[in-house]
Amino acid sequence: MSEVLMLPDETPRPLMRFVATASGRLTARLAVVGGLLAAWQFLPGKGLRFWMSAPLDIGMRLWTWLLDGSLWDHLGATVSAMASGYAIGVATGVALGLLFGFLPMVHRVLSPYITALYAMPKIALAPLFIIVFGIGIASKVALVAITVFFLVLNTTLDGVRNVDRDLIQALGVMGATRLEVIGKILLPAALPWIFTGMRISVRYAFTNTLLAELIASNRGIGYLIEYYSGIFDSTGTYAAILVLVIMSVGLTEALTWVERAMARGRGRA
Amino acid sequence: MPPRDGEGAAPGRPEITEKLRLAGASKRFTVRGGELEALRPTDLTVWQREFVALVGPSGCGKSTILNLAAGLLRPSEGAVFYDGQRLTTINRAVGYMTQKDTLLPWRSAADNIRIALELKCRAVPRAEAAAQVARMIELIGLRGFEHHFPAELSGGMRKRVALARTLIYEPETLLMDEPFGALDAQLKLLLLDQLQTLTTLRRMTVVFVTHDLGEAITLADRVVVFSARPGRIRAIRDIGLARPRDVFKVRFTAEFARLHEELWDELKDEVVKGTDV
Repeated sequence: MSEVLMLPDETPRPLMRFVATASGRLTARLAVVGGLLAAWQFLPGKGLRFWMSAPLDIGMRLWTWLLDGSLWDHLGATVSAMASGYAIGVATGVALGLLFGFLPMVHRVLSPYITALYAMPKIALAPLFIIVFGIGIASKVALVAITVFFLVLNTTLDGVRNVDRDLIQALGVMGATRLEVIGKILLPAALPWIFTGMRISVRYAFTNTLLAELIASNRGIGYLIEYYSGIFDSTGTYAAILVLVIMSVGLTEALTWVERAMARGRGRA
Repeated sequence: MPPRDGEGAAPGRPEITEKLRLAGASKRFTVRGGELEALRPTDLTVWQREFVALVGPSGCGKSTILNLAAGLLRPSEGAVFYDGQRLTTINRAVGYMTQKDTLLPWRSAADNIRIALELKCRAVPRAEAAAQVARMIELIGLRGFEHHFPAELSGGMRKRVALARTLIYEPETLLMDEPFGALDAQLKLLLLDQLQTLTTLRRMTVVFVTHDLGEAITLADRVVVFSARPGRIRAIRDIGLARPRDVFKVRFTAEFARLHEELWDELKDEVVKGTDV
């Protein structure tokens, strides 16, 4: 669908026709970025330069980080805090969601507290976690885990609530144990909901890892941003932000890919 | 013919034993603050290997009886006995085919049929289960549709899958709630024929709920007619038609016509009352 939408009698101009093609679009995009970078590089005067840095300096700084290995160190800290917090949050959220699905009375008793905690912005807990777990990776893992936990718990509960009770009864008459009902009905029926929760919480996990690092830390991309802005080094700050942009794009692309793969899987089912 | 009343083994017929018994069992539901009497206190005994059909207007408590027999509902008064034991929890000796086919949408037809064999209480080895599923698919005429998901099957096909899934683990008693209600006449006869063959072959006891009197007479040893809500037994007739019955032809015999007329006389007032509600 790279057809140019046009009015009758209007012949497409050569430039428009060029941009309508895939390679043309890419060229145009690169030209926009190139133009902006050039303006950034050459336009600011000496005074502005201190606050704005320059693309080439930022690139050089990134190159230095790459060579001395410190980039991988900080990137690794952020990614591992995010990934382990995410994994803990998903596992506990799904497990408790299924359990509540099976013990509706327990859920009914606890639900106001769950709702209250779910509604609270979890980032407010970051200072508390830093006191308890220190400024290292543990406090970030804890914050991400609790954020993801409540999101996944809620979507899992929605999924479990939507399970057709008749299916459970049918399996019960066949002689299924509680564990078999969970494994063969509750989990597969709630799976689309669980995946939705997992997808949504990736972005929250990323944001909260970064926020916790900005608040207090000794490693990570958030730490780099905080550190360099603290010493008024705009080049270092921009370089760290650039790493973050690349991470976000990578994460979004990965999520889109997973979603597409899942949609294909559902289409088959 | 098995006797209609009495307890335990029928006198003179020691091989005929009681399977399911409702002893003054009733059911009331609370609906929006009001009380709804679904089933008046009812006595009914189903004998081993007997095929009993329950007919009556909608909402006469037929399905409630099946839910009581499956142990999914507790009676408000009275008791329900299975094999002489009072039911207090889910009755795992029965296979229950509900009105709605409760197939798992994420499993193919073959995987749905297999599910009962996967459970720990049976623990059928994989290869053995696969062979049984293949035999069942052949038997019930589902060949070529094994890998279809429920959403890809017609209503009739789904009913067959539900039937196969219930029959495969050979429950000694089959509870069926209008299993072929929504099907066209030809397909219904075909499935009734299959059902008759299979339940006879496997020596099953069957409690079959339907609103189709012809279907009831075709299949059953005994037909129980229920009154409109609140449900209670209005009449019970033995069906003396010789077995095996040709489901396609039996309805054109004089005996069938006589039974149909007799039972219809009982049923028609109730149907009128039932639709008034």
